Amino acid sequence: MESVIDILESKFGAKRDEKAKWDACVVVPKEYLHNAVEFLKNDPSMQFDMLLDLAGIDYLTYPNHEGPRFAVSYAFKCVKKPGSRVRLKVLVSEADLKVPTITDLYASANWLEREVYDQYGIVFEGHPDLRRILNHVEFVGHPLRKDYPAQKRQWLSTTDFLIPELEKRLEDKGYRIIQRSKEIMPVEEEYLEGSIRE
Amino acid sequence: MIVLDPNGEKVNLMALNVGPTHPATHHCVRLLAALDGETIVAGVHEIGFMHRGFEKMVERGTWQQVIPYTDRLNYCSAMMNNIAFCRAVENMYGIEIPERTKVLRVIVNELSRINDHFICVAAAFQDLGGTTPFMYAFNPREEIMLIWEKLTGARLTNSFARIGGLYRDSYNGFEEDVLAACKSVEKALKDLHACLDRNRIFLDRTVGVGKISAERAISYGWTGPCLRATGVESDLRKDEPYYDYETYDWEVVVGTQGDANDRLQVRLAEIEESVKIVRQALKRLAPGPVDIVDPRIRVPAHKLAYQDMEALIGRFKSVYEGIRVPEGEYYCASECANGELGFTIVSDGSGHPYRIKVRSPSFAHVSAFNELVEGLTLADSMATLPGLNMIAGELDR
Repeated sequence: MESVIDILESKFGAKRDEKAKWDACVVVPKEYLHNAVEFLKNDPSMQFDMLLDLAGIDYLTYPNHEGPRFAVSYAFKCVKKPGSRVRLKVLVSEADLKVPTITDLYASANWLEREVYDQYGIVFEGHPDLRRILNHVEFVGHPLRKDYPAQKRQWLSTTDFLIPELEKRLEDKGYRIIQRSKEIMPVEEEYLEGSIRE
Repeated sequence: MIVLDPNGEKVNLMALNVGPTHPATHHCVRLLAALDGETIVAGVHEIGFMHRGFEKMVERGTWQQVIPYTDRLNYCSAMMNNIAFCRAVENMYGIEIPERTKVLRVIVNELSRINDHFICVAAAFQDLGGTTPFMYAFNPREEIMLIWEKLTGARLTNSFARIGGLYRDSYNGFEEDVLAACKSVEKALKDLHACLDRNRIFLDRTVGVGKISAERAISYGWTGPCLRATGVESDLRKDEPYYDYETYDWEVVVGTQGDANDRLQVRLAEIEESVKIVRQALKRLAPGPVDIVDPRIRVPAHKLAYQDMEALIGRFKSVYEGIRVPEGEYYCASECANGELGFTIVSDGSGHPYRIKVRSPSFAHVSAFNELVEGLTLADSMATLPGLNMIAGELDR
């Protein structure tokens, strides 16, 4: 694993993550992230062909923390070479909540990036369909941020419509929509009538 | 909706909602499918109906209080999740658990895997209209559940593993019960294969349905039996062995086609391998302690608290303040019934976990679901879903 870290350090200005004491992890500058991931995936000596996980981290209440508030940790492994794993980490400041997407490299990145966006509000630039995934479409805020109170409740009234996403999916597959679905977006009042909110 | 298909022909598509509480989705997942007749032309799916905020909730408690939450990830094999989490934390401490605990954890792991796979196969049969195999699979499962009751006091959410040990040692007669369960598992396997292998209806419904290539499966992050069904020999128990899995005599099962039938057959074959491991592990089960002796990690035994002041303090501190896991970040994965269950753990050195992110295998499997079912008929899509063994608990967390 040392060689992977050395190569990333020399090629992409990455730095070994001091916090990772038990596995290999490097902090990559945001602007090199896509290149670094592409290198990890496609270089014959690397072949990290599986993106396992994206974990957002909010350092707001972390003791003695210096630097940007958020981080996203990418876990990769190589299926062909058992036991070879590496993690990349990008630091994201609150002022600039943007990270380049890697959905063009890994199919799993699509949902994983949506989840980080949902829970932390970190925007993945270039993501084809960045919307909430675990939380409801009407949800306000980003629940895994440390300043979101765990007890806070929200009133959610409508279902996720999904028809626009379906139309987009059809268009991606080469279909052209002539006449849209007759289903209409539900009116908010209809849902709230007779609800416990009143 | 009326659309022009890629060949320029006009087609009238119907948008149909399947789920969230469709009988064949087992849990809650919603598929909005554009149907041309009976064929799914395109689909989008939505998850999150069972999102309970696992990751937010665990940040409020101590490290030991995470364990009951992990039960609720994959509740068909709850103890595997406990063990996977405890292993991650133990690795952070750098402690070695006693030999007996290792063997007991292997037995519990493999029996859980058998349970989980049986549920998956049984449910798949049920969805295709076969009730008999469902019962064949659930009889031995019930025997294992009775062992769980005796061992842990609970059937479904057992919370058996502890950081640095187990909740308690096995009971008298545990070995005999496990051996008897192994026997009935093998008998059930025979019955299931008789129902399944040359069943024309079943094969017509599953062979070649919901196919995925190995390359695509890897790109989607598939692990476990679903990836192995595509022919990729990848199993963490062999690749990155823990608990001496490499010293047991067993094989990694792989499929060839990566279709719905392969995913179920791989699971049935894995049950066989698990039984092999359990039998070998039972022979290794030697008497000894199950907990490590370190009051900073594992609470001292309850009876000691009445005699020994240090033990009393140890119990008090670890219950009220929580154990202090070394500061740092770590990703640790274990091979669970559905695939690689990973925990990205951030510890700030206090008694509470700072952040725990679960890498759940179902999340990766289900993310490919709409790609799998596009081009299939609606009925086939419901034959594809159970093979993925979607468990909403770990999918939505």
